[in-house]
Amino acid sequence: MTLTLTGVGYRYAGARRPALLDIDLELPDGVVVGLAGASEAGKTTLCLVASGLAPRTVGGQIRGRITLDGEEVDAWPMHRLSQRIGIGFQNPATQLSQVASTVFEEVAFGPMNLAIERDEVVTRTWEALTTLRIDGLAERDPQRLSGGQQQLVAMAGLLAMRPAHLVLDEPTAQLDPAGTRLVADAIDRLARDGASILVAEQKTDLLAAVASSVIVLAEGRVVLQGATAQVLADPRLPELGVPERSAVRLERAASAAGVGRDRLAGALHD
Amino acid sequence: MAGSDHLTADRGVPAFLGRPGPTAFHRLNPLTKATLATVTAVAAVVLGGLLGPIGLVVAAIIVPAGVARVLRRLMRTALLLALPIGVSAFLINLFFFPGGEQVLVRIGPITATAEGLAFALEILVRILAISGAVTLFYLTTRPADLVLDLERRGVSPRIAFVANASVQTVPAMVDRAAQITSAQRARGLDTEGSVWRRLRGVVPIVGPVIMGSIAEVEERTMALEARGFTRPGRRTLLWAPSDTVAEAVTRWGLVLALLAVIVVRLTGIWR
Amino acid sequence: MLVRWIAALMAFLIVILIGMVGIGNFGTGIDPDNFFDTEGANSFALIGAIALVVGFGVYAAVEYAQTGGFASIARQFDTRTIVLIPIAVAVNIILGATVANALKIPIYLDSIGTILVGVLAGPVAGALTGFLSNTLWTYVIPPPFQNGPAAAFGIVAVVIGVLAGLAGRAGWLRPRPNRPLAQLGIGAILTVAVILGMAWLAYLGWTSPAFGGEVNFNVAGSDAIFTVLGWLVLLLVAGTVVGLLAVLFIRRDLTVAYVVVAGLGTGIVAALISAPISANVFSGVTGGGTDFLVAALRQAGADIGAATLGQGLISDPIDKITTFFVVYLILVAMATRTKARFPQGERLLEKGEEGGSEEDGEWRGATT
Repeated sequence: MTLTLTGVGYRYAGARRPALLDIDLELPDGVVVGLAGASEAGKTTLCLVASGLAPRTVGGQIRGRITLDGEEVDAWPMHRLSQRIGIGFQNPATQLSQVASTVFEEVAFGPMNLAIERDEVVTRTWEALTTLRIDGLAERDPQRLSGGQQQLVAMAGLLAMRPAHLVLDEPTAQLDPAGTRLVADAIDRLARDGASILVAEQKTDLLAAVASSVIVLAEGRVVLQGATAQVLADPRLPELGVPERSAVRLERAASAAGVGRDRLAGALHD
Repeated sequence: MAGSDHLTADRGVPAFLGRPGPTAFHRLNPLTKATLATVTAVAAVVLGGLLGPIGLVVAAIIVPAGVARVLRRLMRTALLLALPIGVSAFLINLFFFPGGEQVLVRIGPITATAEGLAFALEILVRILAISGAVTLFYLTTRPADLVLDLERRGVSPRIAFVANASVQTVPAMVDRAAQITSAQRARGLDTEGSVWRRLRGVVPIVGPVIMGSIAEVEERTMALEARGFTRPGRRTLLWAPSDTVAEAVTRWGLVLALLAVIVVRLTGIWR
Repeated sequence: MLVRWIAALMAFLIVILIGMVGIGNFGTGIDPDNFFDTEGANSFALIGAIALVVGFGVYAAVEYAQTGGFASIARQFDTRTIVLIPIAVAVNIILGATVANALKIPIYLDSIGTILVGVLAGPVAGALTGFLSNTLWTYVIPPPFQNGPAAAFGIVAVVIGVLAGLAGRAGWLRPRPNRPLAQLGIGAILTVAVILGMAWLAYLGWTSPAFGGEVNFNVAGSDAIFTVLGWLVLLLVAGTVVGLLAVLFIRRDLTVAYVVVAGLGTGIVAALISAPISANVFSGVTGGGTDFLVAALRQAGADIGAATLGQGLISDPIDKITTFFVVYLILVAMATRTKARFPQGERLLEKGEEGGSEEDGEWRGATT
């Protein structure tokens, strides 16, 4: 299934200036697309629009076309769209439903809402837990987990709905280094298994690891687009508010100190 | 999306869901236990006098508590629950009973009367009965189980959600308040002292807690709707507490008995 | 649509008629020999509250018969409201428990959440918040926050939620800043008149046989405590008036006047409904700071019913005015975007704040 945005614009309720303008984006099966840009550049807004929460839940107005395999989804209610596109947010705690006393019930929350057959719900839940390697946490209280674990639980909850595409809005932004590693590894594995993901991130290293292409936003428009290696090596990144990859920064620091590239590579490999 | 079929073992509904309680009383349907608690509490008020409520306490609270092996905990918790209002009620009725004539003790301008004592005892027993009934329910029933049972019987999933989330939000908000309190204390907030000072100290804590929670509403709304929450109609339940015909009959019996007592008292047939 | 409202109104009136004729009079007296006294349980306000619930049931039943659903009721329960209610319930319980246990002052502060939800989402949502708060508070909340008597006052909380919903719907809590002095002056005068009017009625209620049952206290037999009490009440009324005028003219926000009236009205209704419950079930005692008031009133000679009602008529209006004011402050502090998406959100925005962008050309809003 392919999610396509053509000429999409969006403005929040009561706002004069649009938050997004002229967005063209394609998210086919098995592809991971990275989303970068300064804060307030429109990354979160784009995630909300792509998943359908904007304008359905958030209000505001939209223009342009959004299609799934060519079919317009404008008239789809949120609960129908949520079965095709899952969206995860930055704050792990606010994604918990607060009605589940165990991780298992938390992950099963989505499928239960969809009135799927009970046995199917159970199968999907175990599947989601196992895919993210948190089946050992099934009996735990989700409110008592670490941020990284909670974020994985939230993602499992999305996976249990069996969406065709996953939209992740800065999933590691509010996590400590351990949590970041946990979630980054999980995303990496999902990508390798052939997931279709749109992931917004400030941590360009993460994008470099999982995304095949990257889009850079500035003031609601696309300013850079292309293969990951290319985009992330672009010299305009710093002025666009995108931190460079640590490898690039290291190289630059090394050359400023007079260490040649070969010597640096040799030192790194030891 | 590609699944990981090689990993899905043949696992069913996990055993930790809906684990039955330790005693027969625990294993009763939650609606039955709720009905028992409510009927007992209302009956304690309606019956009046001393004998009725005492009998009620023994039959409907102490005996089941014994069966459920929570008697000790019940007495401790119920007394704790009844303490503020019980002490208040006893003292106020003892000393400030209007129309009391038989004086027992006089302390300055206030007098304790025999009529006041009698009334105070009745109110005290009544409060203990209500306290005990409610505590018995609280000690033997998980609120989520009751909500699940109601949902199975037809209550809207959205209402069920609100009830469950409310139960979980109280401790979560207390934790948040505790965090904010220590943060504010580190900045020099004074939380001890006179009523006025404590009152002023409450504001810098209550403000952030309330506004912080409200700020989360938007995020939580989005997260819920992203998981199919807007779908109208029933949803699948993983499990539900069991019910038996005998229990259903008992529940109706209790309610009818209560109605009978109310009618009898209203029309003044007895006492 | 009209049919539903008419049916509900008729049911409401029928229950009131049956209640009044069947069980009795306006009084609050309690017969000390017969502790569960039907004459004391007959307060007009309590009957009114029960009639309200019945009326609501009839409304829902008629709507179901007409349309097979509960659309006009369900509309008040969108996801946002459903997310807000548990927060509101928690605020009610935590603040209420703190005030009752730690600060022995004669107010409750356990309805901030109920009124907030009522104003933002509507009467039914507010009613549910109130009902849930009180029920959970007794049956489910563990120490140290538990409260035994709360569940008995569930119906009071329901009515508070309904009144808050109606006040919100009528646009009473819409900010009205920077009004000219003349308007503020009129607002102040009207509000002070209302407060004094209510205070006068309350005074009559305590002292004249027309309102009470057999026993009322004797003003002329001035017990020292009654004199003190009288001055206390006077002080509180004066304080409220002064405080209101201060905020009104300093903030120049006319809505403060509306807030006071809403709080006063809700407080009086709450007192009227809760007094018979409190008097009959708990002999007027709750274990909180309000008990001192009850003791004082009884010492002054009032019977249980009158003492409870008297305490209620002091504590409830103050409590509700404070609560409505706090809710108004919360609303003012909330971002427009946050408020606007609630069912009654539009009625809480300043004139000119509302306004979506026009749908021009290719821009379109949500269709679902």
